[in-house]
Amino acid sequence: MLDLFYIAALNIFRNARRSTITILSIAVGCCALTCFGAFINFTFEGLRETTIRTQLGHMQIYAEGYWEKHVSDPASVMIHDVSTLETALEGIEGVSTVTHRVSFSGIGTTGQASVNMSVTGVDPLREMDFADFEIVVKGRNLLPGDTQVGVIGDELAKGLEAQIGDWVTVMTTSLDGMLNAVDFEIVGIVRTGSTEYDSVFAKVPSDLVQTVMDTTAVERVVVMLDNTADLPAQRPEIDATIAALPEAYETRQWNELAGFYEAVVSLYNGLFRIFSGIVAVVVMFSVANTMTMAVFERMGESGALRAIGATQGTTMQMFLNEGLFIGLLGGTVGVILSLLISWGIEMIGGIPMPPPPSMSQGYQAFLLMTPAVLAKGFVVSVAAALVSSIYPAWAASRVNIVEALQKPC
Amino acid sequence: MGQISLRSVCRTYASEAFSLTVLDAADLDIPDNAFAVICGPSGSGKSTLLNMIGALDRPDSGTITISGTDIATLNEKQLAKFRNETIGFVFQSFHLLPVLTAVENVAWPLYFQGVKRRERMEIAREKLALVGLSEHANKLPGKLSGGQRQRVAIARALVCNPRIILADEPTANLDRKTAQGVLDLISDLNAHHGVSFLCATHDNLVVEHARQIISLSEGKLHMQEVLNLSEVAQHA
Repeated sequence: MLDLFYIAALNIFRNARRSTITILSIAVGCCALTCFGAFINFTFEGLRETTIRTQLGHMQIYAEGYWEKHVSDPASVMIHDVSTLETALEGIEGVSTVTHRVSFSGIGTTGQASVNMSVTGVDPLREMDFADFEIVVKGRNLLPGDTQVGVIGDELAKGLEAQIGDWVTVMTTSLDGMLNAVDFEIVGIVRTGSTEYDSVFAKVPSDLVQTVMDTTAVERVVVMLDNTADLPAQRPEIDATIAALPEAYETRQWNELAGFYEAVVSLYNGLFRIFSGIVAVVVMFSVANTMTMAVFERMGESGALRAIGATQGTTMQMFLNEGLFIGLLGGTVGVILSLLISWGIEMIGGIPMPPPPSMSQGYQAFLLMTPAVLAKGFVVSVAAALVSSIYPAWAASRVNIVEALQKPC
Repeated sequence: MGQISLRSVCRTYASEAFSLTVLDAADLDIPDNAFAVICGPSGSGKSTLLNMIGALDRPDSGTITISGTDIATLNEKQLAKFRNETIGFVFQSFHLLPVLTAVENVAWPLYFQGVKRRERMEIAREKLALVGLSEHANKLPGKLSGGQRQRVAIARALVCNPRIILADEPTANLDRKTAQGVLDLISDLNAHHGVSFLCATHDNLVVEHARQIISLSEGKLHMQEVLNLSEVAQHA
């Protein structure tokens, strides 16, 4: 087998210019694929971390039955012993933040306009890690010790025509269904990254929300880890800790709650598959052209090989090896090229990108090269080169020996 | 029955415009250790006969038996093995692989027998020495003269120790001096190594060295035994 690779390698460089062009075309295809994959990786990572660190955390813990009853009977699915739960979770290594939230929807007004709002009550002290991912456009974020103040999304501020220092009144119902209202002073206008979320988002101290809802309980406890990648490893310990507590809970991981993230991943993955297909076709045409020329030019050689004892299978293998070799070389050059481009983008500080759909601001894009994305580009290139060699190799193995020997070597 | 035996072999080239019968119920027996030449004008079917004996082409009808094997009974894999082990080919245009050195070219047929590279190269060097090309073992064919390339082709044909070597116009691309050298080599291999040679040629120099002359006329084969000068001297 090694000898067949050896002769394949020698044959590739017989027509150095043609082989170089083919290898470069594969390399460009591979590079385009890996760079696109790396860009998607970067986008996924950015969106994932934004979703986790501004809204969802890595895990959320609810009272048992929350997802069945939180609309019909929210009072029955509140967490009452929140301090025990938070203390237990804080003791787990790798958990960076544990906080609780209690939220309600209502109609808010500053006297200018009335709009729908989603008000979330948080513990300002525990919420500091989440707040880091919110961009404060005006004013400030919540601080420990705050009582009757709140921050709102900048889209909501536009809807309310509100400024820092304005008071917002939000009408809602308490947990037992009584109409109630709460006032808070706007101390900050923020952006979470999501335009949709910014148009309803309001954050106030949890005590304020508990007062208006007439409860001392919370709706959910949010857990954030140091690293998202550690979640699968830490999940069993978190589950075990929760299971050991007297109250019964149920949990959701961030990806089970992030519908938008999943939709984006699905869309981008679809695009990546289509792009992979296009690149594969381009590579296949390029390699098929080169291999067909090689087979045609080396007809006499194929005939001679068959005459001295090569089987059809061996002859086919020889040409397939050439396709494989071209693919391996093209893929390797492509991977090196991708890494260089990624490094270059890193050096210039990223590529400025406009705001993505439903996002409120643009960002600097980088290429997040991972072994998986490099491997994908490489494998697609090599596979396309190999597949496109099958027909020329088959044709070479089926030449009429006598006719082939009429051609020179 | 000889080492090479043809019975009622027919071969016709047909197209829409014309039909040409090159072998018409031809019979032939070539003995062991023969040095036979097939003579005839261009287009008479010399190469066709050689190709059929070498299992590169099949007759329309009739039987070709080589060393007791009816080659029509062999499948594609068996034919490849047969060509590799039983027959050695020397082509008019040498057909050496240009990317391989002389010794690698000679060694290549042994690859198909599964012989390890080191052993293959050792055997190939021996065969190159036999044809007087030890010093050129590591040269690419492009760096060799026509005569040297023909010698490499002969060494390649010999490397699997075949019983028969088929040569199509082995001197066609060589000058007279080189042709004489190649023929001396073939004669020596035939006389001292028991290798049968069957050459298609219209070169009188080759005919002069042959012990059997096969003429091809109107689709029929006729073989006549001849004594060359050295044998005449021996008999005298």
